[in-house]
Amino acid sequence: MTVLTLPVEPGRATAQPAVPWRRMAWVTWRQHRAMLTGVTALLAAVSVFLLIEGLKIRSDYTAMINCRTACQPADNEFGSTDWTLANTLGIFMLLAPALLGAFTGPALLGREIEAGTFRYAWTQGIGRVRWTVAKLILLGVALAILTGAFSQLFAWFFDPFLGNSVGFTDLTATVFTTRGIAFAAWTVLSFAIGAFFGMLIRRLIPAMVATLIAYLGVYLLAWLVLREDYPVAITTSGPVASGAVVATSVNSPTALTPNAPWILKTWVTGSTHWTRYIPVSRFWPMQFIEAGWLLVLAVALGAATVWLVRRRAA
Amino acid sequence: MSTLTAPVQPGTGAAIRGPRPWPGMLWVTWRQQRGLLISVVAIFVTGVAGMVVEGLRIHHDYAVLTACHPAAAAACQQLSREFTTTDWHEGNGVRVALLAAPVLLAMFAGPPVLAREIETGTFRYIWTQGIGRVRWTVAKLTILGSLLTIAALVLSQLFGWFFAPFMTTQQLTPLSIAVFDARGVVYAAWTLTAFCLGAFTGTLVRRVIPAMALSLIGYGALALATMFSLRHHYPVSTFWPMQLFECGWLLILSGLLIAATVRLVRRHAC
Repeated sequence: MTVLTLPVEPGRATAQPAVPWRRMAWVTWRQHRAMLTGVTALLAAVSVFLLIEGLKIRSDYTAMINCRTACQPADNEFGSTDWTLANTLGIFMLLAPALLGAFTGPALLGREIEAGTFRYAWTQGIGRVRWTVAKLILLGVALAILTGAFSQLFAWFFDPFLGNSVGFTDLTATVFTTRGIAFAAWTVLSFAIGAFFGMLIRRLIPAMVATLIAYLGVYLLAWLVLREDYPVAITTSGPVASGAVVATSVNSPTALTPNAPWILKTWVTGSTHWTRYIPVSRFWPMQFIEAGWLLVLAVALGAATVWLVRRRAA
Repeated sequence: MSTLTAPVQPGTGAAIRGPRPWPGMLWVTWRQQRGLLISVVAIFVTGVAGMVVEGLRIHHDYAVLTACHPAAAAACQQLSREFTTTDWHEGNGVRVALLAAPVLLAMFAGPPVLAREIETGTFRYIWTQGIGRVRWTVAKLTILGSLLTIAALVLSQLFGWFFAPFMTTQQLTPLSIAVFDARGVVYAAWTLTAFCLGAFTGTLVRRVIPAMALSLIGYGALALATMFSLRHHYPVSTFWPMQLFECGWLLILSGLLIAATVRLVRRHAC
């Protein structure tokens, strides 16, 4: 543990200058080396796997599209073998923000409190509030960068499967949250939830359980309720552009349409048929809206965490 | 913390009483793992109640669906559509939750049992009680492992009944991936393996969070390898022989993990 207090200069009666913030970068690294290297190593290992398998999957996709005769093996290779792998990895991508947040958030503060070492950490020259704020921001940004880069690679890996079944597009909930900036935003929120519960519950394992449950709750809320009400939907009584057929597998009766719109609601008034839908072109506005409210929520939780840190008697 | 040493009776000489009988460990396990035990029981009760209630409804919907004649009529098609969307999403959700449970147990049940004691140093108290460290470890792992395995066995039998309608509507076979793993005896064996793996990594790494991460990754890798690759190499290929074969090697693996855990506990410098 480093001592960040500065020695009193003889003859100086004024207050000591505040400890510079960049010292906290070193402290954060020292205290959370294992966490940061572990997360990086894990994401790097999975990235190598995604790269290798992604190239194979793309060549299988081309083979399936261009096949003219005896296409059953090519169809099976892409449609069942490759798809099973992609589906499994897709499930991991859904779990990843929750697990990353559960492993990183509560350990930040909950461990210090549980072990009693906060009595040392908080009585350093930098003071408890700045120490907490610096850690939250540094680790949050690090996680955002790592997961943001990783989700770009996963989006590249998963692209051949869009349009593979009816309505499976960029806007499908399970795909939407694994690409763009949504994945990084969900991870940062999960981290913030973890840090908050770590400080609130002050015991590591109950905080991890609470983090997982809370993340699941917010995720289901966004999926089932909020995403439909983003202000990007179009209401029309005319025909809905159904999205061009990108490619057709020779043997498969279903055309691949990765640009099919998301139909929210259809209703009839008098003799007009109304449709409320979101076209795939609204992907990035939706990403920004989602990342926006997720980050606002994460910052609010961070503020609540700092408030709890201030209140606690050391 | 309870002292398990028995006081020396005056007049019986210097002989110290033998270690307390095993039932004493039931109370110690309850005291030390109250949170885990209460959570497991709560989740078990929720799972059973949920599957019974929803299972009755799903079976009723399926009976209505199969009784609808002719099958090509619009009303029957509508019923079929509803069954394969609403009811299937629910059935699939229950299946995913059931398969996720051993993963979570590998994380939360195994490592804290031993790794927390070692990490916080309280093992110096608990291992110097009258019962001794080996019996303490064996008793705890047996009690917790048995409870989890029995709960998992009950849940997987109930799931077999719950999921039966979807086997026909979704064209699944008993050997399909993620169906085979949730039925029969294999599910209970996986739960036990998850717990033993967690306890072993906890004792090996001696710190809680790395142990949780390691057992999560280890269990995930083993489960995926089995589902997608190892199962093809079994010498048998029908449902029950495959179930028993997989259950067999998982039980052997669990036994090895427990033996390794006990050995690590014995060799740990106090």
